[in-house]
Amino acid sequence: MTLWKKVSLIGAAALVALVLLGVWMAYPQPQAVKANGQVNAPAHAPLPVQQPQAAKPDNSVCLGCHQNAGQVLKLPNGDFMSITVDTTAFAASAHGQKNLQCVDCHTDITGFPHPALPATVQSARDYTLKYQDTCKKCHADQTSAVADSVHAKAFASGNHNAPTCADCHNPHTQKTWTIKDGQLTDATQRAQVAQICAQCHSAIFNEYKDSVHGMDVMGQKNTDAPTCTSCHGVHNIANPTTAAFRLASPQMCGNCHTNASIMDKYGLSTAVYSTYVADFHGTTITLFDKTSPEHETNKPVCYDCHGVHNIVSVKDPKRGIEVKNNMLQVCQRCHPSASSNFPASWMSHYIPDPQRTPLVYYVQLFYNIFIPTVLGGMGIFVVSDIFGKFRNRGKGNTPAAPTNPESKEK
Amino acid sequence: MTQSQASIQRFELARRIEHFVLLISFTTLGLTGLPQKYALSSISLAIVRLFGGIENLRMVHHVAAVIFLLEAIYHVVMLGYKLYVQRRQATMMPSIKDAVDAWQAFLYNLGLSRTHPKMGRYNFTEKAEYWAMLWGLLVMAATGFMLWNPIATTNIFSGEFIPAAKIAHGGEALLAVLAIILWHFYHVHLRRFNTSMFTGKMNRAAMHEEHGAELEEMDKGLIPPMPSAAEQRRRMTVFAPLAVILSLALLGGVYYFVNAEKTSIETLPPAAEQVPVYVPQTATPAPTAASTATAAAPAANPGGGADFTWEAGAKDLFKAQCGTCHAGKGAGGFSADSYDTVLKQIKPGDPDNSKIVTVQKAGGHPGQFSADELDKIINWIKAGAPQQ
Repeated sequence: MTLWKKVSLIGAAALVALVLLGVWMAYPQPQAVKANGQVNAPAHAPLPVQQPQAAKPDNSVCLGCHQNAGQVLKLPNGDFMSITVDTTAFAASAHGQKNLQCVDCHTDITGFPHPALPATVQSARDYTLKYQDTCKKCHADQTSAVADSVHAKAFASGNHNAPTCADCHNPHTQKTWTIKDGQLTDATQRAQVAQICAQCHSAIFNEYKDSVHGMDVMGQKNTDAPTCTSCHGVHNIANPTTAAFRLASPQMCGNCHTNASIMDKYGLSTAVYSTYVADFHGTTITLFDKTSPEHETNKPVCYDCHGVHNIVSVKDPKRGIEVKNNMLQVCQRCHPSASSNFPASWMSHYIPDPQRTPLVYYVQLFYNIFIPTVLGGMGIFVVSDIFGKFRNRGKGNTPAAPTNPESKEK
Repeated sequence: MTQSQASIQRFELARRIEHFVLLISFTTLGLTGLPQKYALSSISLAIVRLFGGIENLRMVHHVAAVIFLLEAIYHVVMLGYKLYVQRRQATMMPSIKDAVDAWQAFLYNLGLSRTHPKMGRYNFTEKAEYWAMLWGLLVMAATGFMLWNPIATTNIFSGEFIPAAKIAHGGEALLAVLAIILWHFYHVHLRRFNTSMFTGKMNRAAMHEEHGAELEEMDKGLIPPMPSAAEQRRRMTVFAPLAVILSLALLGGVYYFVNAEKTSIETLPPAAEQVPVYVPQTATPAPTAASTATAAAPAANPGGGADFTWEAGAKDLFKAQCGTCHAGKGAGGFSADSYDTVLKQIKPGDPDNSKIVTVQKAGGHPGQFSADELDKIINWIKAGAPQQ
């Protein structure tokens, strides 16, 4: 064997090993997806093993031009699109931190002159969509989660305004999210989430920002309160107008509102879920959820009374439903002929007590005593009767046997 | 057949049918009611599924309740007929003797008394059941009405009556079902399988043990006879109109029970979220920074020739066509910002050996002078690239 053959064999072996390593690392690892849809996995798969890329320009070449402010690309439909990259923001971004190269995503651009835009790109939106499939090279878990989402369904149905990755995560500026147990933990980042959603859902954002939750998250930078993704999930955002979402929603609210370690801080009751489930509305909703989760129903869930995005404190004088007249208006949405006595038929999540609801409390107390007393009395007699039967049998007697069955007629 | 096996007629057919109707409606009410009280247990869920969902289950519960009420009305009218027209004894009325009988039976069971009480047509175990059933009927009908018609109820009573009614309805139901299992099942199924409610007959031995006093009265012929046919007809003329009025009133009550109100809307409620979902802040989502000023059009061209200098024309032309990339440090180390840096890329007087001219003539550069503009630059270089 010549020296040349040895060298080429070793080289080939090394190449095969490198490819196998690359395949193993790129293979999607099993990962936990939390119930609320938050992906509990690293944001990216390991970067592909870099092959020497002599032909591809590095970032300094691209940024040589693209760092200059005010650069725009005019698209065939007349849209102007900024093609300036803010180098400071990019350097601080998740991609910049990982030293990603422009050409890792912009694979079609390898030098000057840039290739002509494909005919499919007529607008700035088309340009964004051109890169739709780029993210999954590194973010396979997230892109497959998105595939089940209401956004992906809207897109598939032909609505090209439905967001793709880059609409929420600007690839040039998106910083690494701080995630623990599937939840964003950084108060500043939590406060940013709603701003991202607001790009398309600004009317809902306006409701949310003045709600108890929104003011806490964005104003107080309170990490206990929910941001958009806390309830809707992150990538696999489900359609919130379906019957299934509605039926399952009390549990969603209950996730936090039964957690004493959060609620105690704000003096909020953790019995709200159990008291809801125990009453007519909650019982029906829970039964539907368990027996026919696709069932459309007009029975109310938490947000029908408390508000959806514009939830206020129940003590709020204008809309808070602890105020009786506000509650009556809420009741009348489904019970149009309800009178002013009617709201009290719902015990406002309170457990019966002798001060607030004496009638309910004492009726319950009555049955708590009455039922065991009656059954106990019956039980004692039945036991005595069984005892009597055995006692008499033991003696060979037939209890109370007719001694003289003769009747006058016979 | 021995004497002790001889059968005595105990229940006429109508009573047996009444019992059967009660048995079916009570069982149905319990079977469809308790799963609503204990809604989240796995047994309840299985029953709810069996009925095809909670709405069907509630409907069956309501139908069974109406049957139970109709049976109660029939029973009341029938009782009136028996007591007034036929002058029967009110054998179901509780008395002191029942309490004494119960106590004596208890002592007898314990071996503390030698004699078992001799009891009438209905003994204390049966009276307890009958009157418990009547009490249960009244409580369940009253609270059931409140739950079925909460708005009509709260028009008169405070709202608190509804949750109180719910607790009473559930508590009474639990008591009734457990009492039936403990008391009724024991006395007529376990202790001795008593078939008289189905066959209508009971033998003398059983009569002696359970209705000894009645048996003696029968044997002695002490049961009072019914009035004569003529007397019954006379009484019927009084009873019949009253019975019709009472029946209609009670039936009207049942009709009101079922139709008093439409508690809630039957359509889906208005959407909880009223604001539109899609209200974009910009016309289309813009992932990159919003575009700023468009590329500056070339400044007024003062024309070629001798008056075309760096300051007068060339500077603006370079800025417009090269400034996008070749600004500041400049792509490829070339900055078109200043006369001095441009001068490094040209050879005054010799356009053919000036890099700017060769690159531009080759074409395909991202920033490309038009032919007219390039001519001006060439002429400017030929003229020595004057600054002023």
